[in-house]
Amino acid sequence: MSAVVESKPSKGGGVSKRPLTPWKAPKQSTVKPRKVNGIGSLNGNWAYLFTAPFFVMFLIFGLAPIIYSTYIAFFNWDPLAMGDQQFNGLENFQNLLTDSRFWIALGNTLDIWAMSTFPQMVISIGLAAILRSKFLKGATFWRTILLVPNITSVIAIAIVFGQLFGRDFGMVNMVLGWFGIPHVDFIEGTTSSHIAIATMITWRWAGYNALIFLASMLAIPDELYESAQLDGASAWQQFIYVTLPQLKNTITFVLIVGTIGGLQVFAEPLTLGGSMDGGSSRQFSTLTLFLYEQAFVNNKWGYAAAVGILITVIVLIVSLINFFITRRLAGEDTK
Amino acid sequence: MVGVGALALGVVQPARAADPVTLTIWTFGDVIEPIMVKDYKALHPEVTLQIKKSDLDPLNGTNMVTACTAGNGPDIAAVEVSYSGYWRSYPRCFTDLRTIKNSAGKSAKDIQGDYLPWRWAQGVGYDDSVIGIPTDVGGLEVAYRTDLFKKAGLPTDRAKVSALWPTWDKFIATGQKYMKSVSKADQKAGVGFMDSAGTIYSAVLNQGTTKYYQNDGTDSGKLVYATNPQVKKAWDTTIKALNAGIGTRISQFTADWNVGMTKGTFAAILAPAWMMDYIKSQAPDTAGKWDIASMPGGGGNQGGTQLTIPASAKNKAAAWDFITWYLAPEQQLKVFKTYGLFPSTPALYKDPALTEYKDPFFNNAPVGQIYSSGILKLKPIFEGKLNRAIDQAFGAGLGRVASKKQTADKAWQQVLTDLKKVTGQ
Repeated sequence: MSAVVESKPSKGGGVSKRPLTPWKAPKQSTVKPRKVNGIGSLNGNWAYLFTAPFFVMFLIFGLAPIIYSTYIAFFNWDPLAMGDQQFNGLENFQNLLTDSRFWIALGNTLDIWAMSTFPQMVISIGLAAILRSKFLKGATFWRTILLVPNITSVIAIAIVFGQLFGRDFGMVNMVLGWFGIPHVDFIEGTTSSHIAIATMITWRWAGYNALIFLASMLAIPDELYESAQLDGASAWQQFIYVTLPQLKNTITFVLIVGTIGGLQVFAEPLTLGGSMDGGSSRQFSTLTLFLYEQAFVNNKWGYAAAVGILITVIVLIVSLINFFITRRLAGEDTK
Repeated sequence: MVGVGALALGVVQPARAADPVTLTIWTFGDVIEPIMVKDYKALHPEVTLQIKKSDLDPLNGTNMVTACTAGNGPDIAAVEVSYSGYWRSYPRCFTDLRTIKNSAGKSAKDIQGDYLPWRWAQGVGYDDSVIGIPTDVGGLEVAYRTDLFKKAGLPTDRAKVSALWPTWDKFIATGQKYMKSVSKADQKAGVGFMDSAGTIYSAVLNQGTTKYYQNDGTDSGKLVYATNPQVKKAWDTTIKALNAGIGTRISQFTADWNVGMTKGTFAAILAPAWMMDYIKSQAPDTAGKWDIASMPGGGGNQGGTQLTIPASAKNKAAAWDFITWYLAPEQQLKVFKTYGLFPSTPALYKDPALTEYKDPFFNNAPVGQIYSSGILKLKPIFEGKLNRAIDQAFGAGLGRVASKKQTADKAWQQVLTDLKKVTGQ
């Protein structure tokens, strides 16, 4: 990331002063490697060696737990009762599909995901566009500062936002009060608690995603803008017809990564509400919070494992839908 | 190793050349008090205490489960009373403290007599092994603001205030009287008589002899929450208080609670002994304005912890030395005087150092005397395996009534249906 942060936009206003050669993407940028060098030219066997650390780690910390939790999902599992586990077949899954608490958690998760993802996209792309501006002074400073929310501990964020959204003395309610709006009990309401959580997520990730968009924007060849200008396109038209289509792949990437994270929202609702049931009527219980509650509060580990498997299935489905919709929306591939 | 026998007499004996030991301790809140850590360091320079604090639920619900499964626990782990029923079902996760001797040659059997029997029982596994030694007792009394009581035309003297509410009904009536003196504007701004009416639930529940489980000799006990009249009584009393509107809608241990404490948004808190230190640190400006009166219904208990040595601990002997020192009456007395945590060793309840102890923050109330008289009224309660989960379900039910999402009857029914999924019965 640091390369992205340190890179400076060319100084001096006019477009003509920009170097005509396309801006070179930093080497470390994982977003859009322009050309794969190195490993491809080496002997194939070396590639296996270089990628081995990842696959060994994945086998131990990724695949093994997945297989193990799939296994215990078919049991009435108690990790502390040595060796004495009851097999109960598909019972956990059957119970889960008729468990209203699960469906409430799914609904909440999707709602929070939608509330945090789409506004965040707009904010991130907007921030990136501002950061790209040639007139911005101290660009490095602003780019660095965007990362601060992301490196702040989630718990610290949740505590601060918990105070902001406090019912009686929270600042949000104080500001609403200036406009004559009565105090909102953010945590007790369904939509209001989702807004509070989505705000936290947006605050945390908007800057990070803005940097990803920025890296991608800086990689757009200047020729495109120059020819658009020759055609008389305004700044706004350049943004809509040049920048956005060029960002298509990045948008897909950010959306999919955001979705995978969004469907696993956990720390924010846990810390905001302070209990594992996600509020008195489970109004902000999310899928992962429900999983955690089943395992660590209710001692139903097999059931929790079944929730985990369903979350995986849901993430897969939503990611696929995402993928296809973004492809379709962005029109035909330019590459 | 230093002779603990000598320590018990209060003699500091220079440490013999001992091997350095690092004790890892998993705890929450202020179970292990900093001032005592310093004392121990002075007595045992060879022992390094490595303290890792977490929140209660992650500690007792998550970290200890994984530690027991993986066999890589700390040397000492704190288990709070709401999880005691859970952990006493799994004695194999702990060292049986009857089988281990400290440097003075004492095992758990030799020190059992020092502790309150019902607090001791919360650290006994279902197979009769001793898995934990009690720290403090969370004796529950009412902390109230004398200045706000005076403004509302209520008596301020602690004896007269206690006389206002021999029963919970009278307590609620007092609250209503207080609310009448609160202006409409203040009521709208969220001012109330007590911080959270929901806290009445566990206070009443703990005044009984049975909660959610009945001891039938099995590891987990027999579930009786649906039929136990004490549960219904606690529920009904809380609903009555909620309907009377005597509480603010603030929950304890939230940002709003801390602010409300300073601003005088509420005049009374059902305060366990350990909460006194919390009030002092959160609302230092209110020093001298508080006082302590006795609980409606007589006595109360909330919280309390046992110190355990996980089965996988690496330094069991050193850990047991620390626990027996830290929880011995002398040290508990010092913790009480410094932090207000109430000792679990009844011999101290007659000690003038405790009975005559007065706290200026609480208007020089003889807090030692008040809390000890309440604690002696308490009876042992059997804590069952899923205590924490059942507590949460009832708490959520009361929350739904408080926020007017459900009627009391509907909420009660839903709690029972929800709990069927949890307990499977």
